Amino acid sequence: MAERFAVLPCNGLDKAVGPLAREIALMVVEACQGELICPVLYNNIPARYAQALELPLIVIDGCGTRCASKLAGEHGLKTVRKLQVAEALKLMGESAGESLTPDAQRLALCRLLAERLLSAPDEGTTLGSGADFAEPVEYATVTHDKFIFRIPTQGYLFNENHCWARLAGNRARVGISDYMQQELGDLTFCELPQMGVEVGQFDAVGSVESVKAVSDIISPVSGRVMAVNPAVAETPELINEDPYVRGWVAELELQDLEGDRALLLDGPAYLEFVRRKAADYRP
Amino acid sequence: MSDDTFMGVPREKIPWYPTIDYSKCDFCMECDKFCPHRVYERREGDPKLVVANPTNCVVFCRACAKTCGPDALSFPGKPQTIELIKRLREEGDDG
Repeated sequence: MAERFAVLPCNGLDKAVGPLAREIALMVVEACQGELICPVLYNNIPARYAQALELPLIVIDGCGTRCASKLAGEHGLKTVRKLQVAEALKLMGESAGESLTPDAQRLALCRLLAERLLSAPDEGTTLGSGADFAEPVEYATVTHDKFIFRIPTQGYLFNENHCWARLAGNRARVGISDYMQQELGDLTFCELPQMGVEVGQFDAVGSVESVKAVSDIISPVSGRVMAVNPAVAETPELINEDPYVRGWVAELELQDLEGDRALLLDGPAYLEFVRRKAADYRP
Repeated sequence: MSDDTFMGVPREKIPWYPTIDYSKCDFCMECDKFCPHRVYERREGDPKLVVANPTNCVVFCRACAKTCGPDALSFPGKPQTIELIKRLREEGDDG
């Protein structure tokens, strides 16, 4: 008997991608004899689904508005797997089309995405052998007025989007820099990437949201997402407290480090970059 | 200002910014509310929203597109942009 899930889908019935999210949700629920959560009813009467939500939760977003994910986030629900249908279709070179009634071809794509969801690894699990990221980190600092920005001196590579990659063997953890977390201020939400997806260099590998702004986490390196850090999804402040170690967001299996490296800064070079940025820093 | 370059390349040489498909845009202004870099600007006339400050856009950031329900925002291809930056960096080194 397969593992049972609760499924919280998008309710975007006015866009072509919404009915696809609904179809995928129905397929998953049927296949695992799980529970379907209606986002509208859940929003109004959360208690109605208290029992269903004892099952591990799959969230299916239709488009980039991610209403279902946000609803889950607002209610503090822990998501073990997720899918954003428009994005997944784009990766397959497909689209949701215009029609609000899915055709046979799109239903086949739904079937495929539903199967993938059921066989995907859970968030918080690690694919393959994890590399060792236990080495202590040494920092240098840039000081500007009352602000102090820390930058690891070695073992990290940075891009000019203020994101870092920490290297260990053929793996890298990625996250945001101390400068970026201070610029954003107190973080309220961290969106993790999907497990197992291939991320290109400079692709978004999740996002962070603060009281001031939302920002993509732009991956310095290319690779496959082998692990995500559930701690930062539950407690985004962890990134404010410890951006370079406990605040890691995802772990990638490196694809082309030597190629990626040409467009990245090492610790001392990033320190110089932050020094120049800090000159016109306005928090 | 240090924002004038990205990866050593003058920012205005990198055509990375959103393009609004006005046949899809419903002027909900979510992207403008979202973007902290003032890339967008609301106008009195038609269209009510324009990409007024394209070089304020953070290269490789596409976060505003996620706020767009009608999927009216597009960005240049990332691989082409990376190639362009590499080429401009090499030219910069030669010059």
